[in-house]
Amino acid sequence: MKRIIIDREKCDGCLNCNIACISAHEEGSNFYTVNMLSPDAETRNFIKFDAQKGYLPIFCRHCDEPECVLSCMSGALEKDPLTGHVQYDESKCAACYMCVMNCPYGVLKPDKRTRTKVIKCDFCDDKVDGPSCVKACPKKAIEVKEVSL
Amino acid sequence: MKIVIIGASAAGISAAKTIKASEPDTEVVIIAKEDRVHSRCMLHKFLGHERDVKGISFIADDFFETSGITWLNNTTVIGLDTQKKTVKTHDNQDISYDKLLIASGASYFIPPIPGLRESKNVYGFRDLKDAQLLDSECNTAKNAVVIGAGLVGMDAAVAMMERGLKVTVIEMTDAVMSLQLDQKSAQAYQQRFEEHGAEFILNDKVVSVDVDEVGRGKTIHLASGKVVPADVIVIAAGVRPAFGFITGSGIDTNHAILVGDDLQTNIDDIYAAGDVTGIAGIWPNAMKQGRIAALNMLGEKRSYEDRYALKNTVNFFGLTTLSLGNINPEPEENCEIFICEDRHNYQKVVLKNGVVQGVIIQGNIGGTGFWQYLIKNKIDISGKNKDVFGLSYADFYDQDQQTGEYRYAV
Repeated sequence: MKRIIIDREKCDGCLNCNIACISAHEEGSNFYTVNMLSPDAETRNFIKFDAQKGYLPIFCRHCDEPECVLSCMSGALEKDPLTGHVQYDESKCAACYMCVMNCPYGVLKPDKRTRTKVIKCDFCDDKVDGPSCVKACPKKAIEVKEVSL
Repeated sequence: MKIVIIGASAAGISAAKTIKASEPDTEVVIIAKEDRVHSRCMLHKFLGHERDVKGISFIADDFFETSGITWLNNTTVIGLDTQKKTVKTHDNQDISYDKLLIASGASYFIPPIPGLRESKNVYGFRDLKDAQLLDSECNTAKNAVVIGAGLVGMDAAVAMMERGLKVTVIEMTDAVMSLQLDQKSAQAYQQRFEEHGAEFILNDKVVSVDVDEVGRGKTIHLASGKVVPADVIVIAAGVRPAFGFITGSGIDTNHAILVGDDLQTNIDDIYAAGDVTGIAGIWPNAMKQGRIAALNMLGEKRSYEDRYALKNTVNFFGLTTLSLGNINPEPEENCEIFICEDRHNYQKVVLKNGVVQGVIIQGNIGGTGFWQYLIKNKIDISGKNKDVFGLSYADFYDQDQQTGEYRYAV
């Protein structure tokens, strides 16, 4: 499967990946027009800073054995057998947030505004040229690579 | 090979999916007493008319057809012959198996209170059938009484409030959801429920129910002397593993079906998963047990280690809470308690000798999944030299260079 591989040494914390992610999920917006002040502006990836270790990019791994899928009681989260990506069907989700509790890396989160859905990386599977965050990274700290399961 | 699964909830369906994904040629038969597959965590959405029966399913409509699974619904298992390797059903079928998974779940319990068990308008809130019976009661009832303010009781209460009933919740302890919350976080929910019309009677218990001439419980008497009128009564006083049909089979039990780390019972080729094992009565663990039991039935050697059960999330009226571990320690446990709050958030961390014992995160619960890992793996955080409320997975950041998967650096 394809996974976003992280080289954290290269990350300089510019947060372009955050903006690209928000824009990718705001209909009709691009990097320059995205409304960062919208209550729906939510990024699916994070960069934490540590005084010793530097920047630590935290991106959904679409895990081989995804704890979020195993915790989902509505069938909203499923691992696609072909792409290997964990996809989320908002119409099925009942917002119980057991997936938030179960993600060992703290990637998943409830939406800020309504608390009725989960904000989760979809690998930009609807876009032909792959994840928007990867395209936006000026340092090539994140790259899509094929990994064997 | 033919695998028979008893039960079609989290553990049973997860096992069936796993089997069909790994070895599609394996014959799988699922036997369930229910009419259709549904997620019991969404019963309140059905009762509150937010979703229909189809909307509370957690599998695709054509799941059984496309995966080639034999689905025996409305079928109750009444016995087991471990010599002949057959399962007997209520309609006298003998279904043979090579391997058997018991995922029959748990059933609710009506306390032996005078008048309560006899009342015809008393319901549990466990299966779709319970919710359907309650649904028709809600068409005419005005006053609903919920006995027990745990998560199930609160789910039932919120659904009946949606339906316009006057709901009274009676609870023995001094707070709602006392297994998951502390006083402060419980109060936040109680207040929201009250604002929406619910009434709570805490520190009290039902001593008797007056039954009318047609057998319906109409008046509930409490230990305090209070009297509560009821048109419909929901009992949410806990559940017990359901395995009556294995009597005489030789399978070891102790209030639950006993299994080893491979989820096999003491009888070869018979496995158990989910609530019936009493290991951890929560959906994610049942799913994982179903998966691991399935892989082991197919010949793998997987071990189930995730026995940590004290965890839950709560979401009522848009107020979300994560609760893990020991959140109300006794003074003699000598725990340190840290609290951080603002207008929208309440966070509590219970520490002992540098190891997190429990947390409550109420409000913004985004990104809090790492806490469960820290608690269940008893990770010492004292070396982090950091404010506990600033912790995140980043403090344990590590990656597998080959696969790019994250690991914990501890």
